[in-house]
Parts: sequence; structure tokens; C-alpha cells
Amino acid sequence: MALASRSARLALARLGRLGLGSCGAPRRGAYEWGVRSTRKPEPPPPDRVYEIPGLEPITYAGKMHFMPGLARPVFPPWDPDWTPPKFRRLPPLHEHPLYKDQACYVFHQRCRLLEGVKQALWLTKTKLIEGLPEKVLSLADDPRNHIENQDECVLNVIFHARLWHSTEDIPKRETYCPVIVDSLIQLCKSQILKHPSLARRICAQNNMLSTTWNRESTLIQVHGSSGAQLNAKDPLPPIASQEEVEATKNHVLETFYPISPTVGLQECNVYDVNDDTGFREGYPYPYPHTLYLLESANLRPHRFQPDQLRAKMILFAFGNALAQARLLYGNDTKVLEQPVVVQSVGTDGRVFQFLVLQLNTTDLASDEGVKNLVWIDSDQLLYEHFWCLPVVRRKAVVEPVGPTGFQPETFRKFLALYLHGAV
Amino acid sequence: MAAARCWRLVLRGSGLSLHTAAEAAVKAPEVTGPDVAAAPVARYPPVVASLTADSKAARQRRVERWQATVHAAKSVDEKLRILTKMQFMKYVVYPQTFALNADRWYQSFTKTVFLSGLPPPPPARPDTEPAPALDVVALRDAACDCLLQEHFFLRRKKRVPLYLEHEAITSPFLDQLVASLTGLLSARNPALANAALDCKRPVHFYWLRGEEIISHGHRKGRVDALRYQINDKPHNQIRISKQLPEFVPLDYSVPVEIPVMNCKPDKLPLFKRQYENTIFIGTKTADPHCYGHTQFHLLPDKLKRERLLKQNCADQIEVVFRANAIASLFAWTGAQAMYQGFWSEADVTRPFVSQGVITDGKYFSFFCYQLNTLALTAQADQNNPRKNICWGTQRCQ
Repeated sequence: MALASRSARLALARLGRLGLGSCGAPRRGAYEWGVRSTRKPEPPPPDRVYEIPGLEPITYAGKMHFMPGLARPVFPPWDPDWTPPKFRRLPPLHEHPLYKDQACYVFHQRCRLLEGVKQALWLTKTKLIEGLPEKVLSLADDPRNHIENQDECVLNVIFHARLWHSTEDIPKRETYCPVIVDSLIQLCKSQILKHPSLARRICAQNNMLSTTWNRESTLIQVHGSSGAQLNAKDPLPPIASQEEVEATKNHVLETFYPISPTVGLQECNVYDVNDDTGFREGYPYPYPHTLYLLESANLRPHRFQPDQLRAKMILFAFGNALAQARLLYGNDTKVLEQPVVVQSVGTDGRVFQFLVLQLNTTDLASDEGVKNLVWIDSDQLLYEHFWCLPVVRRKAVVEPVGPTGFQPETFRKFLALYLHGAV
Repeated sequence: MAAARCWRLVLRGSGLSLHTAAEAAVKAPEVTGPDVAAAPVARYPPVVASLTADSKAARQRRVERWQATVHAAKSVDEKLRILTKMQFMKYVVYPQTFALNADRWYQSFTKTVFLSGLPPPPPARPDTEPAPALDVVALRDAACDCLLQEHFFLRRKKRVPLYLEHEAITSPFLDQLVASLTGLLSARNPALANAALDCKRPVHFYWLRGEEIISHGHRKGRVDALRYQINDKPHNQIRISKQLPEFVPLDYSVPVEIPVMNCKPDKLPLFKRQYENTIFIGTKTADPHCYGHTQFHLLPDKLKRERLLKQNCADQIEVVFRANAIASLFAWTGAQAMYQGFWSEADVTRPFVSQGVITDGKYFSFFCYQLNTLALTAQADQNNPRKNICWGTQRCQ
């Protein structure tokens, strides 16, 4: 609006009704109803013959052209039964078929939880164990599982991702992050000669996951795609034994009063409660094995903090596990005899977070009872820094081109997570 | 002869430095006629054309000096830098093109002979044990799984409309297919297990071929080389650290003739632009995986079969596949050869071999390319009997 207050506008409208407003400019009020030049002309009034009731006027409608002497036809207003998608208005939320009164708190791939891992643990009724489980670590340390010249290959992969794969001098994170993860997976796949069951896996992207569960009378949903996902034909074996699972009954989940557990989640009333793994039935690779979450934005504020990334990994791994459990064992809430295990790897190209989640129970409404277990190995650096150009001080090369602070342990854990279930 | 020339130059007194004149004057009396020209070491400095004169001989000498710097370059990066640092207007060649009969044009640009069918299989060596039987059933199952996953099983956020089907469905399907087949076949081919798999990494190549008379501008009337650049982005490529063995020997003479086009490349249509000259195989020179194995190309929606049939270009369907194969594989093998230090004046001493698979999602065509020569410039191609060879199949569903 040109003028903020209504009284001022009325005053000027009164002034402008005399004709033009002040200074010979068009009336201020003219802009409220559209510019006069673009206003459509009014339709001509219907013929007087229409005012006579009971009379059928003879019009030139059938002749398809004007005929002087015949009445002008009046057509019923045209009702287009189809609107182009550009002009379609969404119906108000209350009329949406999926509208429900109870609000659901949805976690999608850009949700940042305020309390990070603590909040994710409370939402999924999970107990945290620092460090990867013994079974997986033993796979990492077993020399039979190592690739020959493993360190050299990993260094080549780092060089390729950070320096060689593009014509630019310093490639950006958006390109090097997916390249490094793809190359590391390719390197792990080279073990297929030793472990042929690695061929019983496939990678999938952009699958829409959707699961809902009740957590102390709030409805929580995980919805969205989590990036690349490795699916396998055989399920992962459970890691924690029955005793450890029973021992979690005594664990008390950490609350973070006064912060609400649903902070950071998107509250919405239009949602669908049905579970969806992202794949139709009959899919030959039904068991989710590992999720790879990449934080590849160039700018640091656009990337998740490590804590938020770990929370996202927990929730998406949990969502996949829950959907899988409900598919296998039905929708009733119970303690599972065969726990479902899902792994996850999150990275921003340099720092890796590893996660193994074991779903022990689908009874998530109450705080007591068996809890789920998650093993997290956080902030594993693959290398400290990578110099794309040599650092030269006083004509001497201080730092050569390449990574500094390379840690081969991180790749061993990556390989162990990949081989878990196939060895 | 040399002595007489020396005397004449000394008498003229211009152009020669004092040093050479004095030397010539000193050395001249010792020379006794033409038989001394057969002496193995001339004891006077070489008599060469000027460097700065406005003459053909001077230009030739400048060109030779530049070529000598390339020969003397210590590293491959330096060599490539010297070859590509000067930017001039060049033709931009697109491997995936809608131009009619583009494959014949590309054959003439790259000196390639096209043979249908696949190359002859290598002779079976008696010392190696026979390879394990190919598990075709497992490979077919894997391929079906990839196809079904993308087209049927995977539930995406929104139903993909027809015009986006190509990039949203066919592209991930090809990625998955390459990954799974590479994994399954690495048992038979250990080189594949250690291969590097690139996804949509650029491949660039810059070369000179043929000459033209400049039609307008301040250099009008002069002879200028024709420059070409390919900037390709194969959908997937497999790179290995050991070179593939050759299909046929380096100097194999193919009886088929290379098509000769009698008009300028502008008629194709091909347009000139001036920008950075790059030579890139997908990684920089320092990568140990510097030899190519296979490239996979996905034809865009613009060149799909239905569209060509609607435009009454049914015979161009094969041409599209062939042109893409010849251009992309020539660029890749040429760039691999240049990464090893070969260039038009230092021709390849071993053939560079690569393979290509070109598809539009439904039909696949298989190509093999052998690069026998990089000497395509007018000067280097004068007595060069070698031709590059491209084998290709018809499209199979």
C-alpha cells in the first residue's frame, strides 16, 4: 500500500475524487484497484429482451458471427475443470484429507536438534555406548581383512578426492566429499575377491523413509531421504547379547528439562502414519545395512555440527530399523527376540562419525523396559589438513602437497563397518 | 659448399654477429672444398635462418625452437603447459551432437577408421590357465536388480515426470549397473578390483589437425592450423593402473579409407570459441591410475530415439552412437597418451586402447578404440601411414 494509515488514504481519496490529485498525478487510490490502462473494459449490458420473462430471445449464437437485429447471446460462465499447476492454490490445512488433530513432530534431513545426541537418545529410547562394539573392532584389527598396501591406497584416495579429480587447483567440498566416500566404498568393495558375499549388496539413493512412533504421548515421525544407503540380502547379526539387552532395563534416559524433547522437530498436523521403508515389497535387498550421510555444503554454517550430525544419524538409523522391524514382526509394540541392527557413517569429507544401532524393542511409549543400544565412535579424523599447494617460506618448501596427520585407523573402522555381516 | 656460403655471408656483413664472422674468417682457409663437408663434426657454428625476420624460414625456426622447448621439458605437466598455454580460436567439438552424419566428420578430424563388429580376440596363450566360466546368470540377475530397483522398487518423493525420467531414473540405474558389474567381474579380472571408478568427471582434449587460410582479419591470407577441443563428461569411467593390451599391432594398415570432407568444419555445424585449452583424463597427472579401461556414456533426452524418428532421422540413430564413441574415446585415449609424454611431434610408441559403452537407457552399443597416432598436425602428418581404429557394434537392447 502506498499509504500506511487508512484515514490518510481516505482523505486523499476524497481529494482525488474531484479529479486528479495534487500536482496533476493520478489519484493515489487508483493504484488500489489496478492501473487504469490494464483494467479490462466492462462487458456490455445484456439486451432488453432478456428482461421480458417467458420470452425466448433469438440470438446469433448458432450463426457463430454477429448479426444485426438478433439478440446478443448470454453464455453461462465457463468453468475450467482444470487449473494449471502454476495457479493452483493449496486447500486450507483443515480440509486436507490427511489432517489430524494431534500434532506430529517430524524429523527430516535438515532438522538440527538443539540437544544433539542426548535428545536423539531420549526420542528413540536408546542407551549410548562410546566406541564401536568389540565385534566390529576385531574386524578392523584382523590383518586378514586388510587390503594390500592399504595405507598407500587410502592416501591415493585422499589425494584423488582433494586434489586430482578436478581441473581446479583447490576443489570445493561439494565435489570432494561425495568423491571421497565413493572412492572409499570402491576400495572396500575390492575385498569382494576374499569375501564373495559382498556381492549380495546394492546401493540405493533417494528412497523416502517414513516411520512413526509414540513417545510418552507425543507422536514422532522420521520422514525423508538420508542420502546413499547400502542394502543387503542378509540381515546383520545382533551385536549385544541377551544379558546386555536385559541389563539396559536399569538404564535411565537422560532428560534435559526445561528444554522440550521435541525442540528442533517440525510440528505438523498433516501427516501419514503408515510405515514406508522406501522400497516396495518383493525388493531383493530388503535389509538396510549402512547409511552414508554426507555434509558437503561449502559454507560452514550450512553444514551440521558434529553433534547434530550424530543425532541425525541416530534418528535415521533408528527410523530404518523400526520400519524394518515392523515389516518383519508386525505393528504391535513388543521386545524383539531378533534385534535389528543398522549401521551409519556420517562425514564432511575429513571427519568421520561411525554408528551402530541395535533395535531391541518397539515399545517406545514408556520410559521403562528394555532400551535400544547405540555404539558411536565420534570425530574420527581421516587426516588433519590437506595442502593443495605446497607451503613455501623463504624459498624452501615447508609443507609439501598432501595430507598432514593421516590416521589409518579411521579407514580400518570404515572397512570394518563395511565388512560387518559379510565376513 | 659450406665454406663458400660462409665467405659470401662474411662479405655481406649484415645479420651475422661479429663472433660468427670472425670464426668463419678464421676457419675458412682450413676448409679445402666440398669433400670436407663430409667431416663428422663441423668446426663452425650451424648456419641457420634468422629468428626475427619476416620470412617463412624464420617462422619455421621459431616453430622449431618452440618444439625444442617441449621436447626439453622435464615433466609432463610442463610439457602440457607449453602445448596448451597459448589460446587461439578453436572449434568446440561436442561428442553428443545432433548434427547429421557427425561420425564421418569426426572420423576426419581424428584420423579414425571405423570398423563394425568387435576387434579380433587376443590369441589364447598356452601358458595361462583357462579363465573360470562366466557366471552369466549372476550377472543378469544383478543387472535386473539394478533396473528394477530404479524403475520399480525405489519409492521416491514425487512421481517422476516423463521429461525428468532420464536424469532421475536412468542415470542412477547406470551408476548402480557399473558398480555392481565391476564388483562381480573383479573375480575374473583382478585389475578391476583395484580400478578407480569416476562418476561424471570431465575429460578434456585439445589437438590440431589440418590447415586453413584465414579469411578475414589482420592475418588474412595466411595459413593457420585448425584447432579442436573436446570437453566431455562421461557418466562413468573406469581407470586402471596398467595399460590394456593392444588389439592390433601399432602399424596395422586398415584397407578402409578415412572419409575426407571437402568443406570447412563450420558446415557441420561447428563453432569457434577461445577459452582455456585443457587436457584431462579425469584425474591429474600424478594419479597412478592413469590408463583408461571403459567409459560409459548416457545419451541425453534431446538425442533419444523417439525424437529422431519424429524428425525423420531414423538413419541418424546409429550415427549419434558412433559420433559419441569416436569423439569421446579419441579424447580419452589422446589425453592418456599426452599424460605419458607423447604429443604430435613425439608420436606414441605403443598403442593406447580404451573401451566405451554408449546407451540411452534401453539400447546399448559397445565400442573399442585404439589410438595409434597422435601426429595429426599438418607438419607431422605428411608421412604418417598410421590410423586410429574404432570398432563398434550395432545397438543391442
